[in-house]
Amino acid sequence: MDPARRLGPAEIDVFAQLAVSTLLLGGIYALIAVGLTLIFGIMRVVNFAHGEYLMLGMYLAFWAFSLLALDPYVVLPASLVIFFVVGLLTYALVMRGVIHASHNVQIFTTVGLSIALQNVALVLWTGDFRVIRPWHSSVVIRLGGTAFNLSQVVAFAVAVALTIGLLLFMRRTHTGRVMRATAQDRDAATLMGIDTDRVYRLTFAIGIACVGAAGALVAPLYATYPQAGLQFVLIAYVVVVLGGLGDMAGALLGSLIVAAVEVAGSYVFGAAWKEVLYFVLFIGVLVFRPAGLFGQRGAETLGA
Amino acid sequence: MRWLAPGRAAAALLFAGAAVVPLLSRDSFFLDSVILILLWGSLSAAWNVAGGYAGQVSLGHAAFFGIGAYAAALASARYEQSPWLGLAVGVLLSIVAGALIGYLSNRLKGPYFALSTIAFAEVLKIVASRWRGFTAGSEGIPVPYRPGFWTLGLDHVAWLYLALTLALVCYGLQVYLEKSRVGYRLAGVREDEDAAEALGIATRRLKVAAVMLSAALTAVGGSLWAQYVGFVDPAHVFSIDLSIRFALNSIIGGMGTALGPFLGSVLITMLETYLRATFSGMKAGFSGIYLIIYGTVLILVVRFAPEGVTGLADRVWRRRGAARAEAA
Amino acid sequence: MRRRAFFLAVVVLVALTGWLAASVHGQSGEYNIGVHEPLTGPLAGEGKRHLEGLEIVRDMINERGGVMGRKLAFAVADAPDPTAAATEATRLITREGVRIIVGTFSSRLCGAASEAAARHNAIYWETSCVDPRYSTRGLKNAYRTEIDATGFGWYNVEFIAKHLAPRFGKKPSELKIAFLSEDSSYGQGVTEAARQRAKQEFKMQEVAAEYYNFQTINDFTPVIVKFKQLQPDIVHHIAYTNDAPLFWRQAREQDFLFKALVHAGATGYGGVDFGKALGANANGVFALLEPGPGFKIEALRPEGQAIEKAFRDAIQKRTGSYPLGGHQLAGGGLWLLKVVLDRAKSDDPEKFRSAVMSLDLPVGSMINGWGVKFAENGQNSNERVQHYMLQWQDGQLVTVWPEEFTTKRAKWIPLGAWDQRK
Repeated sequence: MDPARRLGPAEIDVFAQLAVSTLLLGGIYALIAVGLTLIFGIMRVVNFAHGEYLMLGMYLAFWAFSLLALDPYVVLPASLVIFFVVGLLTYALVMRGVIHASHNVQIFTTVGLSIALQNVALVLWTGDFRVIRPWHSSVVIRLGGTAFNLSQVVAFAVAVALTIGLLLFMRRTHTGRVMRATAQDRDAATLMGIDTDRVYRLTFAIGIACVGAAGALVAPLYATYPQAGLQFVLIAYVVVVLGGLGDMAGALLGSLIVAAVEVAGSYVFGAAWKEVLYFVLFIGVLVFRPAGLFGQRGAETLGA
Repeated sequence: MRWLAPGRAAAALLFAGAAVVPLLSRDSFFLDSVILILLWGSLSAAWNVAGGYAGQVSLGHAAFFGIGAYAAALASARYEQSPWLGLAVGVLLSIVAGALIGYLSNRLKGPYFALSTIAFAEVLKIVASRWRGFTAGSEGIPVPYRPGFWTLGLDHVAWLYLALTLALVCYGLQVYLEKSRVGYRLAGVREDEDAAEALGIATRRLKVAAVMLSAALTAVGGSLWAQYVGFVDPAHVFSIDLSIRFALNSIIGGMGTALGPFLGSVLITMLETYLRATFSGMKAGFSGIYLIIYGTVLILVVRFAPEGVTGLADRVWRRRGAARAEAA
Repeated sequence: MRRRAFFLAVVVLVALTGWLAASVHGQSGEYNIGVHEPLTGPLAGEGKRHLEGLEIVRDMINERGGVMGRKLAFAVADAPDPTAAATEATRLITREGVRIIVGTFSSRLCGAASEAAARHNAIYWETSCVDPRYSTRGLKNAYRTEIDATGFGWYNVEFIAKHLAPRFGKKPSELKIAFLSEDSSYGQGVTEAARQRAKQEFKMQEVAAEYYNFQTINDFTPVIVKFKQLQPDIVHHIAYTNDAPLFWRQAREQDFLFKALVHAGATGYGGVDFGKALGANANGVFALLEPGPGFKIEALRPEGQAIEKAFRDAIQKRTGSYPLGGHQLAGGGLWLLKVVLDRAKSDDPEKFRSAVMSLDLPVGSMINGWGVKFAENGQNSNERVQHYMLQWQDGQLVTVWPEEFTTKRAKWIPLGAWDQRK
């Protein structure tokens, strides 16, 4: 585009549409990343199986929709509860034993979990790609020159609500403060009489509940299949690192930045290069701003 | 009886066993299994140099593997040169890439380093998929089979001895890292970097060197693999699955030990081949079961034997020794 | 000493496991062939469908007396990646004792697997991978029943130039075409072949060529916004499976109007999931495939009619639906293998090869209305493997071209506004 030329209405529409797309895509990334921010930020556990809980959440929404004709939004509260329990169980069975182990042990534990869960889904429900179309996913909203659909807006709204909710929870409640204290200094927290095991259990369960619920919101938008979660995990880590560890508001902002890079990159360079862009951004932030773009705490507080 | 440590004896047994296989059987599936065990074992040993000995746990070693594989495949398929030439180029490129990753390792700690290596491999995967004019894109490169050593068109027996040579080189390097002064310094870096630095060890340079060596060995493995399997495509050679496999063998076998990667490779390759053959034959829907078992075994091993099989053996041995001492 | 004994035990145990894995299966009286499909990993869904097609045709073959006087049986192997593909091919040949391997859905796998088979002088019978280089490696015992990617590209451009352009009232050289494709080997292969023919032979105006990764594409709006400004007549989109509904939904949201969308293959727009997901909203999309409803079975030769009908009935009985692309590719290929074995009466590579080369059946003789004429390089000729353009019409993928083979006609040319495709 000739920069000297004045922006015509068409160009303004393009810009507006890209901005709206960024916002809505960012909402989806935030949905998935807030749970990870909790788990990675407070427990310092790299959870590679995070995406698999998203996938399971999507299957829950899919089956509820196709067998019981339940709208994913009706399933949403139920999936929060179900995945909270799933989180507790996973913690008790898998994570508890490795919580004090090295990062390597934790990484490979969750890698094993991820492989196992993906293939449980494959064996139970085959590798078919399942798509549901509840009414709201075909409701198109037109605003000015932009267009988007209702399911995306709801996902975005829930992402914002979830972020604010968790933020308040962490700042205002006793449990939240205990969680933050544990994150800052595990040993000191233990000395202060905090039951760190309980804190971790709760943190993990809340994190999994968030991502499981995200599955219900994402199911109307993307296909459900055993590997559906895989692509979101790396993005979620990029988001968490950009936002700073355990920082809910940072995660939301980080999501928007990743989405902006992706949308603008796809438009300018082509969709093939979008991942290169955000991975380079990821490495760049790690090297030059390890505390995250806005965070106080980040990579530098993490021992090897 | 201390003239030969048990780990060394087991390694000698393992390699000697592999060396006599062709004398006992010419069955190509059996030979293929042994070749893959040696190849994956060598690649894990290469990973172990950075991950085990220097403590730089990478989940992006597929990057170096892919560079090696592509260099060899392009040399033989595109330029009709010897894959050995490609191997040399691949090693050089990997050393450069290794220096870059090594630099990252000085800036990043723990899981951040692991995550950034994943990102690095992913970037290479995308570049290889998109650079159609050079790499043939996602369609990959079928590697021509031209009989001869110089062209690396070998039969299974020759491959076995080639893989065994690589395995011995990797094993020998690891032993050197355990016994030499460099090795002690590396251990210092791994256990307590600040203390090592205070002792005047150039920790940064040492880490970078370890990652570069690891990268070079991985590229060699990648080049040989490309010629052995005969097909290179970005989705596989740069995949996180491969990176995990390299790390996994070492972790299952025992990180930071010379035998560990090979022992892990024996166990994992066998388990994988056996489970896959058993379950994929049963029913279409059952083929995923082997990966469920695989994943579960991984969780259990990491949980209950975090130092791997060699560590477990050590522990069992010590407990027995202690019990015997008590009884006496 | 004990510690050494422990290690010895480990090594012995492991060796035993290896031998266990190596036990030979198969019953006497059955003739075993190897079947090689991706049954885990991201391609598992389609791999399973191919296996289903193979099993159905295996049963058909056995109802008709099997092959070489024996019951046909499968030794199935999972081939999720090239290393596994090569290893499993070796295992099937040396452990299961097969002489013929049938496979594999993906182009990533057929290269490595057939290479491994060639080194054991076994026959590799490819039914679905489309990599053109599969048949240019000089492997004497590697065959392919399906057309290659250049064939797909060829048919797609043929349809656009010969059928769509006249109905738009345009010359092919006046058409503006935007290429969009997932960037796996399948998408790249077909798209590049189509681009080449569109540009060189018909001088179509390529306004864009955009690739993306089907597993990580989360939003098509930037691409659609860009395409909208370029105003293509045709969108040539090779999609995998999750990306097709996403693009179509977002194109509708963005009110992106073009005259036609053309796809090729059994995934994406050619998959049953697309219609399930979108219902009547899918109306108008074209996908190059094996024949679907509307296909004039009478247009086939008598022997083709009989076998096509039996095949459809068998699929209907097992799956309750019309054959899907995966069934047709795999099943059609396996039936052709039976025809060859009937003639060769042997799995000796030399006799097998001469039987393959002696086959000369016109279009309309086989399942899917295929004909047979293999070239020296083992490729069934693209002209004999007749392909058809199908179109989504009210939740059904119906055959619309070539018109002599079908009772249905292509509709919505050019595509109207999004809400007027009823």
